[in-house]
Order: sequence, then C-alpha cells, then structure tokens
Amino acid sequence: MRFGLFPGWLVLLLALALPAAAHEIPSDITVTMFARPQGHVLRVLVRLPLRASMDAEYPRRERDFVDLAKAGPSLRNAAASVLANNLEIYEGGARLRAPRIAAARMSLESDRSFSGFDQALAHVTGPPLPAGTTLFWEQGLLDVLFEYPIRSDASRFSLETRFDRFALKTVTALQFLPPDGSARAFLLEGNAGLVHLDPTWFQAAGNFVRMGFLHILEGTDHLLFLLCLIIPFRRIGPLIPIVTAFTVAHSITLIASAFGFAPDALWFPPLIETLIAASVFYMALENIVSLHPWRRWIVTFGFGLVHGFGFSFVLQHTLQFAGSHLLTSLLAFNIGVEIGQVLVLMLLVPALNLLFRHVVAERLGVIILSAIVAHTAWHWLGERFDVLSQFPWPTLTAEGLASLLGWLIVLVAMIAGLWMVTLLPKSWARVVTGESRRAP
Amino acid sequence: MTRRMLSRSLLIGGGFAALLAALAAGRMLLIEKAGAQAQAGVTAPRFEVDPLWPKPLPNHWVLGSTIGVWVDSDDHVWIVHRGSSTLAINEKQAEAKTGECCAGAPPVLEFDQAGNLLRHWGGPGQGYQWPDSNHGIFIDHKGNVWIGGNGPSDSHILKFTKDGKFLMQAGLKGARRKAGAAAGNNEGDVAGFAGNSNDPVSFGRVAKIFVDAKANEAYIADGYLNKRVAVLDADTGKIKRWWGAYGNKPDDTPLPAYSPSAPPAKQFYNPVHCADMSVDRLIYVCDRVGNRLQVFTPEGKFLKEEFYEKETLNSGSVWDVAFSKDPQQKYIYIADGVNEKVKIIERQSLKELTTFGDGGRYPGQFYGVHSIAVDSKGNIYTTETYEGKRLQRFLYKGPAPVTKMNQGTVWPSR
Repeated sequence: MRFGLFPGWLVLLLALALPAAAHEIPSDITVTMFARPQGHVLRVLVRLPLRASMDAEYPRRERDFVDLAKAGPSLRNAAASVLANNLEIYEGGARLRAPRIAAARMSLESDRSFSGFDQALAHVTGPPLPAGTTLFWEQGLLDVLFEYPIRSDASRFSLETRFDRFALKTVTALQFLPPDGSARAFLLEGNAGLVHLDPTWFQAAGNFVRMGFLHILEGTDHLLFLLCLIIPFRRIGPLIPIVTAFTVAHSITLIASAFGFAPDALWFPPLIETLIAASVFYMALENIVSLHPWRRWIVTFGFGLVHGFGFSFVLQHTLQFAGSHLLTSLLAFNIGVEIGQVLVLMLLVPALNLLFRHVVAERLGVIILSAIVAHTAWHWLGERFDVLSQFPWPTLTAEGLASLLGWLIVLVAMIAGLWMVTLLPKSWARVVTGESRRAP
Repeated sequence: MTRRMLSRSLLIGGGFAALLAALAAGRMLLIEKAGAQAQAGVTAPRFEVDPLWPKPLPNHWVLGSTIGVWVDSDDHVWIVHRGSSTLAINEKQAEAKTGECCAGAPPVLEFDQAGNLLRHWGGPGQGYQWPDSNHGIFIDHKGNVWIGGNGPSDSHILKFTKDGKFLMQAGLKGARRKAGAAAGNNEGDVAGFAGNSNDPVSFGRVAKIFVDAKANEAYIADGYLNKRVAVLDADTGKIKRWWGAYGNKPDDTPLPAYSPSAPPAKQFYNPVHCADMSVDRLIYVCDRVGNRLQVFTPEGKFLKEEFYEKETLNSGSVWDVAFSKDPQQKYIYIADGVNEKVKIIERQSLKELTTFGDGGRYPGQFYGVHSIAVDSKGNIYTTETYEGKRLQRFLYKGPAPVTKMNQGTVWPSR
C-alpha cells in the first residue's frame, strides 16, 4: 500500500478520530544515517525504528516477543526491502549497485550508539542483543551496515531516499563524513529529492536558483506586494529603481540572517510576517490615495529589508544543501527570486495595460485592484498580529540592548546611504544640463 | 546657494557620522557589561514557556488531574491523568449527555513534538487491575509503558506496550487493605488501609517508576502508603530489594506532622514521590512532604541529602525530579507543587541556583505542578494536578547568567 498517495491531513484526521489500533501508520519517524567513503568502499550505517516496518514477518516467542535467536534473516530482509530498496546512492552521477548488507541487528530504543559513526559501527558489528531479551518488533530499532563498492573515496556522492512511506512525517538525520575529516550534517524531511552530499558550486547555485524562483512564485504575500508596486508604474523605466531597491534590500537582510545576525527569538518570525502584511496594506493604500507615489523606491527599500527576513525563514532549513558554498547559494537564491519577479512583471505589466485600456479606466482600475489587495492584506494583518500579540515585549538585558544597537547602527548607516543617493541625481542633473545653480 | 547646500549637506553628513559613532560606543559599553555579567555570576539553563504547545485535544476531550509525564526515545511526550474521576459535572457534560462539552480524555496520551495527540488508551481491561487513581508514567528502554496508582487500594503497578497491550502486573490491588476493613476504594476509605513497606510482593500506593536499562531493574517510589524505594526485575516484576530514608529498613509507624524546626525524620514521609536514576547511577528520591531530596547508590546506600524551602508545609516542596540533557546531567529540575515553581539545582552540590514559574492559570504558571520530564533537546515538560489539569512545555534557551533567584513566569522573549 502506498500511503504517500493519501493527503497527510486526511491520514492524520483518521488517526485522531479512531482509537489506537495495531498497524497504524506511525505519525513520525526519524531515520539516522552515516555515510563514510573510505578507499573503495562507501559504508552507510542506518538506524530505522521498526514500527516503520510493521507488516514484516519475523519469528516470535511467547506473547509475541521477537525470537532474537532466529530473527537474523527477518532483519536482513527488512534491511533489503525497506531500506536498500528505498535508497539510491550515486557516485559522480552514476547510480551505485545494490549494497552488501555487512551487518544487521536489532537494538533497544534506549541505545545511544548512533550519536557518532565509530560508536555506531562498533555497535552494529558488535554482539547482538541477548537472545532472552523480551522485545516487541515495533518497539525495537533496526541497525544496518551497508557497503557499496566505489571507484574512489574522493568522488562526489549524492543520494535520494524514498523514506516518506514510513510515517506521516519522516525525518532523516544524515551525516556525510568525507575522507578529509570534515562532516556535513543534513536533516531531510520526507523525500528530499536528490541530495548532493558535497555539491560543486554550480550544483549548489542551480539548486538555490530553483528554490528562490519557486519561493517567490509560491509566496502570495510577496506577489501581492509586487503587484502593488507595479499597479501605478507599468513601464520598465520607473520600475527599474523600485525593483532594484527591493532586490538590494531583501538581499541585505537575507544574507545577514544567513550569517546569524537576525534575532532568534520566538516572536521574530511572527513580527516579520505581520510587517510583511503591513507592507502590502500600506502599498495598496498608497496606490489609492496618491496619484504619483513619490520616491516609492525608498519605501520599497525599507519594506524589502523586511521581506528579506521573510525569505530567510525559508532558507533556515535548506542552507544545509549549500555545502561549502554558502555565499554562492545565497546569491543564487536571490537570483532565483529575481527571475521569478521578472517573470511576474513580464506577465503583469501587459495584463494591467490591457485591463486599463479595454476594461476599466486607469485611475478607477488602480483603485479597485488596490482595494482588493488592501482588503486581503488587512485580514492577514489581523491574523498575524493575533499570533504576534501572544508574545509580550522582550525583557531588555545588556546583551539584548547591544544587539538592538547593532541593528540600529545598520539602519542608520542605510538611511545615511540612501540620503547620499538622493544627492546624486541632482548632481548628475546639473552635470547633464550644465546648470550650475537653480534660480531661487 | 551652493555653499548653503554644501553646508547643509555637511551638517547632515556630520550628524549621521556622530550618531553612528555614539551608537557604536554605546554598543561596545553594553557588550562589555553583558560579558561582565556573564562572568561574574552563576549560570543556569534558561527556559521560556511555549504557549502554543500542545495543540487542543480532539473530541471535546479535556484532561483531569495530570499526574505523570515522560518523554520517550522519539521525543514523544506521554502523560497519564485521572480523566473523568477528577472532572466536575460542568466539565464533562458530554459524558452526561447534558451538553456538547466536554468529556474526559483516555488516561494515557501520547503527543509528538508538534503537539499533536497520537496514541490514546487506558482503563480497565482483561487480565489486569487498572488503578483507582492513576499516578506516574514511565517509558522504558524496550518501549514499554509503566503506570502506578495512588488510590487507597492501589498496591500494584502495570506495564503495557505503547499500543496499550497489557504485559505485566506487579503486586496485587487491595493488598494493603486492613483485615476486616470495609470494601470501599474511595479517598474517604483510606483509613481502611495500612502500609507494609517490607512486603516482598505488593506495594502501597505507588507514585512513580523509573527503569534502569543497564540492569533491567525498575525503581519504584512506594509511595503514598508505604515509605520505601523498591527495586524489582523489570521483566518478571519480582521485588529484589528495598530501603527507607537514609538507607534504613523502612518502618511504617506514623510520623508526627512535618515541622521545619524538628530534626529530620529517620523515615520517609508519605508520599515517597520519585526515585529516578542519573547517568552516573545515583538514585534521587523525593521525600515530598519532608522537603528533601535524598541520594542513594542503586543498592540503597545513603549518600547525601538536601532540603529545599524547609518552611513549606502541607504537600511539601520536592515533588518530582528530572535531569538536564547534557552528558553529565549537570542540573536537576525539581517540580514544587506547593510553591508553584520549577527549581534548577546544580546536581553535584545539590544547591538551588534559580527557579522559574509562579502560581496561576496562564501559560508558564502552575497550579499544582506535579511531574516533570526533559526531552533530547533539553526542553522541560510539566504536568499539573488538582485543578491545574494540563501539560506544558518550556523551551530550553541555553545557559544564561542567573540574575534573579525567582524568575517568575518565563514568557517568551529573546
């Protein structure tokens, strides 16, 4: 049975509605994995809670305890059918053949040897549980050592798992241990697709461009903000400084967040989400009340800083795929966002022009569209503020105040920078026109 | 005009530069101050209540007095509560079919880290005697669920699989009933029962269970009627050894009421409310009413004790313990259901470093904080008895300088 065919919420609803029964789909399972290439062998250690394999046949003793003395073949069967069949490993793009099951054993839930590769290896290849241990299959752990023949331990490896069938939510905690002594940790949710364990810069960049592109297209609030920006300006010229300001601003806060400069408090994400809703609401209102929003790029820059924090929440769980190319990946994510924005602009600008030419008068159209957006944003604002209001203002400590002042310095520096930019066009204008001074 | 504009620009630019310099200087001073604060004082783990955990229960279910919590190897949180028997009529109108809401939830509940309710089961069944008053829950190294009971006739403990399949009963219900006493099992019938802390088979109103994976032995806080720690084989349920306060042979002679000025009692008061083992295989026993924590070897040799808030009367200040999740278990967390706080103790010295919590019904406050447990990330879970009737999570926020002995309600903040 493929549980992945059912929507997660439906299965969860059924699980909640019915009393507990045997062979229920586990709600969540954590698979622990280590992968270490050494010479011509890639050793992969896997720990899987056996409740992920409830339908397995295994020898039983009295009261359905596992007959550990005879359980070896069942454990190897589970290792092959449940794990190896749902795990694909690639060496430089070529899929590795089915692995050799070098060891498979059952462990107690309390065992902690999978906290490191060496302990886990010693445990898996060590003596099995005493045959007299009273243990139920679904309350035990399956520990396996797979060995894959490889060409070289210096190759680039990638893997793909199909572990989402084990539970409503499957998390795979994976550590890749290349021969140079470094370690890369991954936390993969469900089927995370092809994961490059040690990506090249262009693999990382390609992956993050795709993520940025998809994120902007899936983020309704970001898209509505973009719509508000362009409703009054439907020509490329005026849009360039506005979109550039948004891009530069969200890049600054996104990169700052990735390097750990954003607050890690519980209230911070709801604050940013509320501010994003406020930014959409403000922009929509400005479209309604102002015929020619003045210096919109400055306001856009400010709100762009906020949206950058919003983007960073998405990246929190995906920067693990950057390998050693953190900055490249961040820039690539931004590029993906920009590609998405340009695509939206290319579709929206002509669509709006057509709308205002053939369906509704421009001013009335601007007001109607902006009012619809303002209405939506107002609801978001209320909902998000409700969440935010559950968190009281933080207590100010010396450490907290120092952090606050750090951000204030950044803000003042940005305002100063913007002020300096506002001086430039006048100088340029004077240079271009040759005008040395304007009449009083 | 150009000169005026230039002057104006220079003035504004200078203003920006001065402001930035002042802010930078202020920040440096604050960083120095924060560093000095961190070095000067004691540090202790810091927590914030998670007001959004757990999620609401389905089916109009509500918790009764919630008297046990444990976290299993998957970081799932298990609780046991007393359900309908501790709900007022107006809390369970769905059961009486007089209204839509509410009904007591099943006694044993499992929550995941997202706060979703998972498995739920419990109650009387074939082959075992369900306690009259559930008390304490533990998930052992084989994934089995242990439950005690402190009703007047509860003198036994039960073991189930995580799915609620019955595995073992140790001790017999009603073993502590006095010869010729009436057959009632209610709280008012407690006079019909007497402790026997040297019974090798049954218990006396068990408060809590802890299973030592290495030796496959269960430590029983025994209890509300007996005055001992009993150790039994976790597979057979056979009692192997037991001891009282200071490692003495337990004596069930009634003790005078606790007095802060009296010499420490040589026996445990009732209830003996916890008996948990640390990573270095020391047994920490809660003498709840005696306001003390006693430490033993697994064989019952007394090592040391410490008193906490000795002036506390009635139900006492040492209700339950849990250990911090660092490899050395540097800290002990004590639930104190009278003073309504969690005490943070340095395990080596047994000295109290700080406390958090306060009486009240809002997130982060307590009404009868009864049981405490810790997950693999160091987060704390508490349950509340009496009318508290809830489960709360406190997120571990790392070590922090101790600035206040009593932190009060720990709301989320930076």
